[in-house]
Amino acid sequence: MSAEASSADQPRLVTSALELRIKGEVNAIAAAADSISDKLRQLQVPEEKRMEILLAVQEALANAVVHGCKDDPSKEVRCCLEQYANGRILIVVSDPGPGYSPQQSIDPKHADRLHHDHGRGVYLIRQLMDDVLLAHNGSEIRMWKY
Amino acid sequence: MDINVRKRSHVQVVQLRGQLRLGEAVDDLQRTIKDSMTEGDARFVINLSEVPMIDSSGIGVLVRSLTSAKKQGGSVKLVNPSTFAQKTLRLVGVLSLFEVYEDDDQAVASFN
Repeated sequence: MSAEASSADQPRLVTSALELRIKGEVNAIAAAADSISDKLRQLQVPEEKRMEILLAVQEALANAVVHGCKDDPSKEVRCCLEQYANGRILIVVSDPGPGYSPQQSIDPKHADRLHHDHGRGVYLIRQLMDDVLLAHNGSEIRMWKY
Repeated sequence: MDINVRKRSHVQVVQLRGQLRLGEAVDDLQRTIKDSMTEGDARFVINLSEVPMIDSSGIGVLVRSLTSAKKQGGSVKLVNPSTFAQKTLRLVGVLSLFEVYEDDDQAVASFN
């Protein structure tokens, strides 16, 4: 189960990094996710862990594009991946939007919401990653995988 | 994502190949389901054996399709989702909403 965490707790020696700038439109997400996938393969991340990270990134990018950029290609989403000396991976996704309140990421497994066709993205991220931190009023999400 | 649809015993069998995620993939599946339902078809088998990942938008279209199909007296049944896709569906609590089968034959037969 993920929890809020401080980046100050993480070792700072970065052994590998990737930075992407993505147009704020839905059609740009797939290529960015594929770049992340390629990087994770290059880092020899085990398959199951790679899939978990990739899906979490996919969800974060989708939120950034849809809610942060309002699917506006003139706006930009930033996605950074860092691997630390101890193998931990940090992925940061940020957008120029106003952010959102953590109270808005409610439990989609509640009986009243189970049949909804949306509202599962942030919940999935918290289930897939080991630690998740929302910064800058929610317009930035920092996700760790150990 | 590639979508192949064929009709068997009054059931639309939808074979997906690729990631079911936000964008064209989800839009295309939604359109496929909607077009079939407009023509009166409400029984669907969705084969997920070649879908390595389903994101929350993909889950949304599956749930929405199931709800719509049931309103018309039909259903959406899943075939052979990958281990990771099953895990994802289970994580958000929707796997139990669907009947899941190992192959198309079993899924189609279940409608009779």
